Amino acid sequence: MSQPAAFQVRSLYRSLLRQSSQFAAYNFREYAKRRTRDAFREHSTEADERRIQELVQKGIKELQVLKRQTVVSQFFQLDRLVVEGGKEGKQKGNRNDIIRQKDHGWD
Amino acid sequence: MYRTTLLRSIRCATQATSRAQRPAVQTAFRTPFVQSRISTPASSISAVRCYASSSSLNQDEITGRIIDLLKNFDKVQDATKLAPTAHFTKDLGLDSLDTVEVVMAIEEEFSIEIPDKEADAIHSVNQAVEYILAQPDAH
Repeated sequence: MSQPAAFQVRSLYRSLLRQSSQFAAYNFREYAKRRTRDAFREHSTEADERRIQELVQKGIKELQVLKRQTVVSQFFQLDRLVVEGGKEGKQKGNRNDIIRQKDHGWD
Repeated sequence: MYRTTLLRSIRCATQATSRAQRPAVQTAFRTPFVQSRISTPASSISAVRCYASSSSLNQDEITGRIIDLLKNFDKVQDATKLAPTAHFTKDLGLDSLDTVEVVMAIEEEFSIEIPDKEADAIHSVNQAVEYILAQPDAH
């Protein structure tokens, strides 16, 4: 792959992963990350320049979808799942990955 | 700035007390905070803490944290080759996509955001450590 194209692909991969981790809901977040990884791995041996450009265009479209959907997903407050592992768990609350719990049991 | 004025006022106060030994006047103008400082030996004045001082990330700590992070990265093929000089692709057997993921994990570890150009130039543990050292807001 030519040098600028390789840089473009890496940059796209980075933006897709970054955007994926913005999802508020655990399931969507993990799916988006997994799907990004799998899609890039699937075509990692692609050699045809034209085909690579097509895939990059597809990736850019997906990135736009992700941008819209992450914004929408942040409108909805969800309880954290048990697998997310609380404030002391795996997620440290860095990139907005901790959502405030809904208060249950008041009055 | 606050620190220098504080130190200066303490120095003035100590000079004043040594010159004039009149306790009544001293207690009149001293604030309780300054008084507590004077009663201790002069060496403890340097213990004033500045909150604007830079973080204390040293090179060894950064290297250790990055290597720990790589240990937990399941795609590293040969964990025995993990060293401060290890190259991501040549020594650890990672491809370019894995390298992107490692750099993103490093970003998260040190709570910084590395721009595309710089992130693309990081290919080894050494380079990552150098980059983090140059970042004042990494912690």
